[in-house]
Amino acid sequence: MPYKQAHLTDRQAAAHLLSRFTFGARPGDVDSVVKMGLKNWFIAQLNGDLSDDSLLTRIDTVNKDLRLSNGEMLKAFPTTGLVIQMAIKDSVIQKDSIGSLGKPKLKAMLQDYMKRKGFKNIPDLYKELQARKILMAAYSKNQLHEVLTDFWYNHFNCALNKEDCSRFIPDFERDAIRPNVLGKFQTLLVATAKSPAMLFYLDNFSSSYTDTSRLRPNNPPKSLKLPLSNDTSKRKSITQIPPRRFQGLNENYAREVMELHTLGVDGGYTQSDVTQAARILTGWTVYPISDQGPGAFAKKLLEKLSPEDFIKKGFVREGDFLFTPNRHDPGSKIVLGHVFPAGGGYQEGMDLLSILAHHNSTAHFISKKLAIRFVSDNPPKSLIEKMATTFLNTDGNIREVLITMVSSPEFWSPTSLRQKTKSPFEYILSSVRSLNSKIIDPNGLIPWLNRMGQPIYYFTAPTGFPDQGAYWINTGSLLNRMNFGLSLATGKVNGIKTDLLALNNYHEPESNEAALLTFSTIMLPERNLDETMRRLSPLLSHPDLHTKIESAGSNSGSNPSMNKPSVMEIKPNDKNTSSLAQVVGIIIGSPEFQRR
Amino acid sequence: MITRRGFIKSSGLALFGIGLGGVPTFVVEAANRILEPSPFNRKKILICIFQRGAMDGLMAVTPYSDPFLANARPSLFISPAKQASNSGLIDLDGHFGMHPSLSSFAGLFNQKQLAVVHGIGSPNNSRSHFDAQDYMESGTPFSKSTNSGWLNRAVGLIGHDALSPLQAVSLTSSLPRSFYGPNPTMALSNLRDFAIQMNGNPLGANIAAQSFEDLYDQTSAGLLKDTGKESFEAMKILKNADTKNYKPNPKAQYTNSPLSNSLKQIAQLVKMNVGLEIGFAESGGWDTHYAQGAQNGTFSRVIDDFSKSITALWNDLDTFQDDVVIMTMTEFGRTVKENGTGGTDHGRGSCNFIIGNNIIGGKVHGSVPVLAKENLEDGRDLPVTTDFRTVFSEVADRQFNIHNDDALFPGFSSTPIGVMKA
Repeated sequence: MPYKQAHLTDRQAAAHLLSRFTFGARPGDVDSVVKMGLKNWFIAQLNGDLSDDSLLTRIDTVNKDLRLSNGEMLKAFPTTGLVIQMAIKDSVIQKDSIGSLGKPKLKAMLQDYMKRKGFKNIPDLYKELQARKILMAAYSKNQLHEVLTDFWYNHFNCALNKEDCSRFIPDFERDAIRPNVLGKFQTLLVATAKSPAMLFYLDNFSSSYTDTSRLRPNNPPKSLKLPLSNDTSKRKSITQIPPRRFQGLNENYAREVMELHTLGVDGGYTQSDVTQAARILTGWTVYPISDQGPGAFAKKLLEKLSPEDFIKKGFVREGDFLFTPNRHDPGSKIVLGHVFPAGGGYQEGMDLLSILAHHNSTAHFISKKLAIRFVSDNPPKSLIEKMATTFLNTDGNIREVLITMVSSPEFWSPTSLRQKTKSPFEYILSSVRSLNSKIIDPNGLIPWLNRMGQPIYYFTAPTGFPDQGAYWINTGSLLNRMNFGLSLATGKVNGIKTDLLALNNYHEPESNEAALLTFSTIMLPERNLDETMRRLSPLLSHPDLHTKIESAGSNSGSNPSMNKPSVMEIKPNDKNTSSLAQVVGIIIGSPEFQRR
Repeated sequence: MITRRGFIKSSGLALFGIGLGGVPTFVVEAANRILEPSPFNRKKILICIFQRGAMDGLMAVTPYSDPFLANARPSLFISPAKQASNSGLIDLDGHFGMHPSLSSFAGLFNQKQLAVVHGIGSPNNSRSHFDAQDYMESGTPFSKSTNSGWLNRAVGLIGHDALSPLQAVSLTSSLPRSFYGPNPTMALSNLRDFAIQMNGNPLGANIAAQSFEDLYDQTSAGLLKDTGKESFEAMKILKNADTKNYKPNPKAQYTNSPLSNSLKQIAQLVKMNVGLEIGFAESGGWDTHYAQGAQNGTFSRVIDDFSKSITALWNDLDTFQDDVVIMTMTEFGRTVKENGTGGTDHGRGSCNFIIGNNIIGGKVHGSVPVLAKENLEDGRDLPVTTDFRTVFSEVADRQFNIHNDDALFPGFSSTPIGVMKA
């Protein structure tokens, strides 16, 4: 790590590492990184095998649902449609009376029914997911893994707003993203491509081949016209056609996998490449997960096939992923100049993903995105070239690409230090970590994240949240940041407890000025604090301040908390109004703390 | 003449109650007095609403007499004829009809206060949401390197100094791409929260506010410094306005949606006379790849709320209507043919809506060819027959006297198509 060449001390370099590869330095972190050795610390983070047992135990007791498989998830959190079906079947509600019941009454009946059956409400799952992310980011010892899980999730963004995919997002993050964040890029790409969350989010689950020569124009597909009949010979014909109601090509995933996941928008592909890639990926869908509701019938049919027949007919199943040959376009295709001969089946999709994962444009696109996250909003071209070269030489090994990055002088240059603006998530988590705050209810932070513009897991567009300061900092969001700082320090953020004096070993700073210096040093390690001190000191030590505050406080009357003698006196037992809390709030809301 | 903004600047005045630096009370009072009657002359105002996700223009305003459309959309096509329990399209002119959920728009159309431009879109045929939104908002469909957004440039071209930090306000949690750039524009998600707050400790809040203002004023990070400055100026103005007790005009029927909430606050800003000239809001849910629905369903729900919210804004503006033009936009349209999943994929041309008293309303402008395959772009999409910049620049010209196309949309010039009265 060539930080000495950049004239950085060990402590300064450690602070930089912590600002890039953790969700913020906690008090004392700089010391421990220096003690351990910077390189050793980074390698330990790359290995990511420090024990988080007690944290995970705590999370699992609160958030059991996040460990459920997709099938269990559907059972525990059935969709409203399914609940209605079951309630009708159990004669809890009458099918004919649904319309006349009215929405509130129906809702109450369904709630009651769900309670009795032990079903859970889906918003609770969403809250668990958000809570888990916050707790892991705040407390995991393997900080780099958390940062990268956040990075890659955002890269392969799926959103809870789309209910078709929302129940599968815990599995997506847990099994497709998390285990692969430092492995080969292709592994990550294939895992996301086959994940039910992605298959639903970008609609590929429904994309299928339509042999237009067999259909007369303007006639709906045959499946829609089949009369419901008890004659089993007629029913059998359904097995010849795809089980879902709609059939046809859907380009959504094929486009985004090139534009957003691999090549980048300027990566040199055309509309024809998109359409042909979509044809290659027809038949990539989700194995019918539930025994009830849509897909149940197809599931029965699939289960009837013997394992030999299943393979012989060209089906492929991996977990919840299903390649179904009867929906796959058998014709030949050309993508990015590569010819895919007719009859390629499942394998041509794998080949396509491999081509994309190893493409020169992908190497540059991914390297640049990593550099934007870890170095600066405008990373130097020379750095991206080095990283892309490593990417191409190591079969897309993410760990190696990161090593190249921190071994480059560009990573340590003055144009990189403190050049990133914290995203709201980074800002909030680094505040909590810098104060060693106790998170009692992680969901107390959600309204703040939303107000600052980062509703985690709810970014609708497949682009994920932009990673540029200019996106996060605007007149409204900046104000919310300042208010968050004041609220956190004065103990007014729901679910978060902070013991400010503990940070200074229960020594009360002698003056506001001393408090400012002491806590700035703890919370902004290795930063130049001259500017802040020079500006704030006169303000905080103004001789008039004390009396002015007293008189204003007694004037405001009705609110009893306002009649406290003075907000400028430090009172360990009354941290909410103490000036220490105010000083700390101002540090968190200050421009310096917005940067990392 | 001294402008309000100039006044604040030149006196170095902090309006946070007591001035810690010893600003005399009479100065504070003088500044407060200046607010009423408002120092801002009434201005022309443009309110833009971006429909993110690409609205299916052919379902919103349907050329129903075109036989090709009905064929291409077996499950999505709606005819003007009433069917059983479902209402049909609202016939506009014997050829076009509005979706049944646009009834409030149809009312404005009949009063010639609403115009439609059909076949509008970008000359760049990208079908990526991200790209197409980026191009539409930067206003340079062939250049990604344009840093500024077209509405930010419009602020700079309006022809007078920025009198207020609230000159261009987006009711969103983050700044839209259209607002990026050197001129002061701002985003806020809720007017009421726009203050430094310390619950039960207003004095602490004052001290904190002044500390923050000082710190942001001296920081070396340009982005934080400039944004901080705008935040504090806006805060001072809003502090003096009664944002908490806003009562919309009784004629305005807002819904509970985020869009309605944003538009209600824009109406509030217009009526508060705080110098607003450009307002911006967003609407989502238009990316209907799957199970789009016809009379009922996804599209119907989204456009129902969309039109109700905008109509509520228009009615709320009441006596301010003459000053305001409302314009909607979306990044592209959707395929003529419905796809295999009961929806439509990314296409090219769509339509937009323009509402005002100074427009040529009650008319579907632009051109939509017969939707035979040979007339379609790439054999699949409604072709773009009107460049979005043509319409945007005509609106900017009539509303703000911005005559210079090339400054607003670099490298572009156009002839107005006549959506606004000359």
